[in-house]
Amino acid sequence: MSLAWISKLTLAAGLVALPATGWAQSVNISYLTHWSPETVALLEAAAKDFSRQNPDVAVTVRAVPFGDLLTTLRSQGGSSDGPTIGGIYDLWLPELARDKLVAPAPDAVASEVKSAWPAGVVSAASVGGTLYGIPNEIDVYALNYNKELFKAAGIAAPPKTWVEFKDAAAKLTDKDKGQQGFGMINSWAAGVVHPFASLLVSNGGNLVKDGKPALDSPQAGETFALYEDLIKSGASIPAMATADANTTGPFLDNFVSGKTGMIIMANWWESALKTGMGDKFANIATAPIPVGPSGDKPHSISYSWMTVVNAKAGDAEQKAAWEFLAWLNSPKSGKNGASAMSDILMSMGILPSRTSDIEAHKDKLGSDFLSGYVSVLADARPFPVVLGGQEFSESLQQTLEALQYGQVSAKDAQANAQADATSILERAAK
Amino acid sequence: MAKAFRASAGIMLAPAVTLIGVFVLLPMLLTVWLSFQDWSTQTPFSEASFVGFGNFNEIFGPTSVGRDFKTALLNTAIYTALSVALILPLSVVFGLLVYQREVAGGTALRTVLFSTYMVPMIAVALVWSKLYSPSEGPLNQLLGLIGIGPQPWLSSPRSALVSIVLLNVWQQVGYFTVLAIAGLTQIPGSLYEAATLDGANGREQFRFITLPLLRRTLLFSAVIAIINAVQVFEPVALITQGGPVGSTNVLTYHIRRVGIERAQGGLGSAMAVTLMLSLIVCVSALFAFVNRKDSE
Repeated sequence: MSLAWISKLTLAAGLVALPATGWAQSVNISYLTHWSPETVALLEAAAKDFSRQNPDVAVTVRAVPFGDLLTTLRSQGGSSDGPTIGGIYDLWLPELARDKLVAPAPDAVASEVKSAWPAGVVSAASVGGTLYGIPNEIDVYALNYNKELFKAAGIAAPPKTWVEFKDAAAKLTDKDKGQQGFGMINSWAAGVVHPFASLLVSNGGNLVKDGKPALDSPQAGETFALYEDLIKSGASIPAMATADANTTGPFLDNFVSGKTGMIIMANWWESALKTGMGDKFANIATAPIPVGPSGDKPHSISYSWMTVVNAKAGDAEQKAAWEFLAWLNSPKSGKNGASAMSDILMSMGILPSRTSDIEAHKDKLGSDFLSGYVSVLADARPFPVVLGGQEFSESLQQTLEALQYGQVSAKDAQANAQADATSILERAAK
Repeated sequence: MAKAFRASAGIMLAPAVTLIGVFVLLPMLLTVWLSFQDWSTQTPFSEASFVGFGNFNEIFGPTSVGRDFKTALLNTAIYTALSVALILPLSVVFGLLVYQREVAGGTALRTVLFSTYMVPMIAVALVWSKLYSPSEGPLNQLLGLIGIGPQPWLSSPRSALVSIVLLNVWQQVGYFTVLAIAGLTQIPGSLYEAATLDGANGREQFRFITLPLLRRTLLFSAVIAIINAVQVFEPVALITQGGPVGSTNVLTYHIRRVGIERAQGGLGSAMAVTLMLSLIVCVSALFAFVNRKDSE
């Protein structure tokens, strides 16, 4: 048979097969995330597994930078052509649910989630008792420190109290080497607010109490003053603290290159540290948040992420999306009784939240770096999920950055933060 | 005859006028209407409720909404003024340097200057964010070679906006140089010959011939530079996210945050209308200034 004939037959076979393929994958759903290309590849592999078992469903994955995730969800989620599934931060849920951009979970999914996830995590994925998403990751803050720098500064153990913390920060600071004791973060709302909030709750305070801002408490005043002390003493240098749209940048570079002695960060940055540090990652250790003068014991701020389904998507797409998510988060989809989602999360050093996933990944969660985070999870306080929460967070970010750069005193920062938060939360609640 | 002419002109203009009406005027009018409404971008227009000047009171008020808006407005004004003040003189200087027919490599130089304008902003942002890196950035390393200490660039509220301006100038100056060259080619060479015969030196020729005859080109360049600068968005979204301390939070970025992220469509529209009015005032003032100079 000549080459021309082979080509013609191949083309004819292709044309015959094409409609069949089209009919087989009659439902197309898309998944919007902010994950890196490596992690997206893992999600795509899981989606292919699902499509093999469900040939009528095709899943495509689309990634945007973290800074664009909410905007993309808001601008495209209002249409049936927008992403069918979105990975969201729990703080965004109340407003997305209010604006009817996300669909309530079907009963079967809701009862599965309520039985298989811890109650606190289920509550963060619910509004008014209705579950809107399948929780996946949980993030918690802890103190990360560089053991090599600690040794060089003659510090034997990580600080347990604010007094020890300030003392360690001072000892770790070496202006000649361009080295700071404690690394703050700026230009990224969660990066600024969560470490501050972790210190605040470890000092017995709260960001929001009974739905009202509580930044006028004496405990909050002491936390603002701690920041002011660290800046004024030179133990924390704001110019080393900048973050970019991908939540990387100088703050990460300085910790990775050994120019920052301590930093308060969440577990998910393990993969960024490993990539940046290579073998030197072994120098990094995790410890609980130092306890303030008004605190009882170390607490941290925790928050969760979940996957939600576009309420404007067609019925078939919504049904397929919930089926895919239920499978992705079930013990059937991953290795050794873990879910495929938890395998993806663990590749980044992120803690899964499903009870069976925590059990399945027990060994890896016991690593030097992650065990420090797992140990503080029990006493962690969830970041307040309220209407206007994102605006509140961005406003507090501005105030804390102004304090970092010496534009306001600790006292004024506290007064501004409370006044802004009151006005934002009152307006959002209307 | 005149009636038939008017009818035919109307028929010929109708498609363009309709398109402009639907895609330019209608959205502008809609934005103006929304600026007087309390409206979430996630709800239909029918759910908007009239609040009069409430949104404008809010954005110029003392709360965090007003404070952030006023900072963004000021940042945009500084960014625009600095960009125009740097781009226009540089474009004339580069234009004069490049507009030398006798100099070998003039065309290549024009191409190099214009090429920065063709580089996508995402690439520019990625490269410049690394160039500006305070600890490992090449710019600080170069400064170190001549004994100047490391600069914070994007990491300080004092220098972040200026750093973004420099990036903008680097990218846009080539385009404006091409405009300046186009203006220079329109100046008759006989004027320079006559001036030379009258004993005018280079500086005098530039002051009394080049600059006055380049005025129209510079007016056009200034208007385009102002509009481009006011619309700055990508470098802020890609590099600084408006920080630190809101020092690079420009209006387009802030309007996106308020109008889309927070779904506060009424407030976002009021901000957009204020930006539009500011732009109209600036450009009109510029035209009035140049027209007065022309009549003098």
